[in-house]
Amino acid sequence: MTIHNLYIFDRSGILLYYAEWNRLKQSGITREEEAKLMFGMLWSIKSFVCKISPLDTKKGFLCYKTNKYALHYFETPTGLKFILNTDVNAQNVRELLYQIYRQVFVEYVIKNPECNLKEPIKSELFKSQLDAFVKQSPIFGLKSY
Amino acid sequence: MSRQGTRLDQKKVNSELFTLTYGALVSQLMKDYENVDEVNKQLERMGYNIGIRLIEDFLARTGTGRCYDFRDTAEKIQSAFRLYLGISPQIMNWSSSGDEFSLQFDSNPLTEFVELPDHCLNLKYCNVLTGVLKGALEMVQMDIASCFVQDHLKGDPCTELRVKFIKRLEDAIPAGED
Amino acid sequence: MSNGMTISIVKPKTSILDKSLSKGKGEVSLTCYALLFSELVQYCQNRVYSVPELQNKLAEVGQEIGMKLVDLNFVREKNYKREIKLLNMLLFIKSSLWKSMFGYEAEKLEHANDDERTYYIIEKDPLVNRFISVPKDKGSLNCAVFIAGIIEAILNSCGFAAKVTAHWHKGTTYMIKFDESVILRDKQMEER
Repeated sequence: MTIHNLYIFDRSGILLYYAEWNRLKQSGITREEEAKLMFGMLWSIKSFVCKISPLDTKKGFLCYKTNKYALHYFETPTGLKFILNTDVNAQNVRELLYQIYRQVFVEYVIKNPECNLKEPIKSELFKSQLDAFVKQSPIFGLKSY
Repeated sequence: MSRQGTRLDQKKVNSELFTLTYGALVSQLMKDYENVDEVNKQLERMGYNIGIRLIEDFLARTGTGRCYDFRDTAEKIQSAFRLYLGISPQIMNWSSSGDEFSLQFDSNPLTEFVELPDHCLNLKYCNVLTGVLKGALEMVQMDIASCFVQDHLKGDPCTELRVKFIKRLEDAIPAGED
Repeated sequence: MSNGMTISIVKPKTSILDKSLSKGKGEVSLTCYALLFSELVQYCQNRVYSVPELQNKLAEVGQEIGMKLVDLNFVREKNYKREIKLLNMLLFIKSSLWKSMFGYEAEKLEHANDDERTYYIIEKDPLVNRFISVPKDKGSLNCAVFIAGIIEAILNSCGFAAKVTAHWHKGTTYMIKFDESVILRDKQMEER
């Protein structure tokens, strides 16, 4: 199992944070461009998923899977968006995203007076805590490529 | 992780340190502005900044979802007071249309040790709370207004905060989408 | 907070003095305190131009709190008796006071090897710095100056004239530098 990369967006689509661990191929466009497309895609998927739902949707969009990777999506009621790309076999990724929100983001961004919530996160403490947190997850694994 | 979130959550601070810190902040504002209305505004602004962060902690900690209706919101606000300040204000005086209610406080760690001097009778000592509510609810797409209609510090029998629902806020659509 | 201003003529039904002093065991969440403190820091920051000025401002606010804490603590715990011995006073701060404020004791109390006027209280992870990255150059803002201000006011209002500063060292180290006269007095007391 492996974790490829993570995006955190605020409600308005600002990329607050990006990190990658085992990303073997880049998209070939700038990070800003990539983030914009990512946010736009999520917006479209979300609204379409709700629209065609044959049932009343409570949770909405959770993830999609290709033959190589899976994208996992977690949105808070405040509109923060956490996106984690993993390999296709990763389990309980949603739980991990929730923990990242709860144990890392809230602790080291929300409670940190240095962090402006409308700007990309620069805190070293957050960066190192997030990195350690992701790496200790069983999903991170010791990947064979 | 050496620090587990669950353990951190339970950490508490002595409420008197909190009381005195808030008091020192208010008195600093009184020194800096010398205009009570300006201080009230500043307190609300600070409350707003606290609210937009506090809501994230509340959601993360309680795992709560969106509110069903405004009564649900009122109960969540009440539970947040218990969680953060260790007090349980009463929810009362609902308007007939269900878009307005009051929170009534018997005790309040913000005002322990406080007595308002004469020239400060217009000071809304706890105005930070109106800001907190505004900021926190705005983050979950609710526009509300609140104000103190009774204040124990001014000789009223209790402190009453009136909260009014204004409207739901909609997410902005990203550029290029519709 | 009355701040020595005049007392209200519009009398509340019960004056604050009619209420008995609480036991002081109430608690609020750490998050709540952290966010309030963060606002205090940002407010002060917006009104000054440099890091030293900001540190001074935070220390001043801390001092105001320290003075009130002294009264509260001694009225409650020691029946109006205050420590008169320097070491006891420092131990009181490191243990009881820290415990009542933060729920734990400060890690260490040390006496400087090369200066008998200087003591250190060491705290690895002070409340006010818990969510802030430790700066790479140790010269930048340490919000614990706020706590240093509290300690300084407590010492001063108990008759131990001292200057207290906060430094990025082993976490945070509070450096307490006593006035020469305080050291002399303490020595005389020993001799008696």
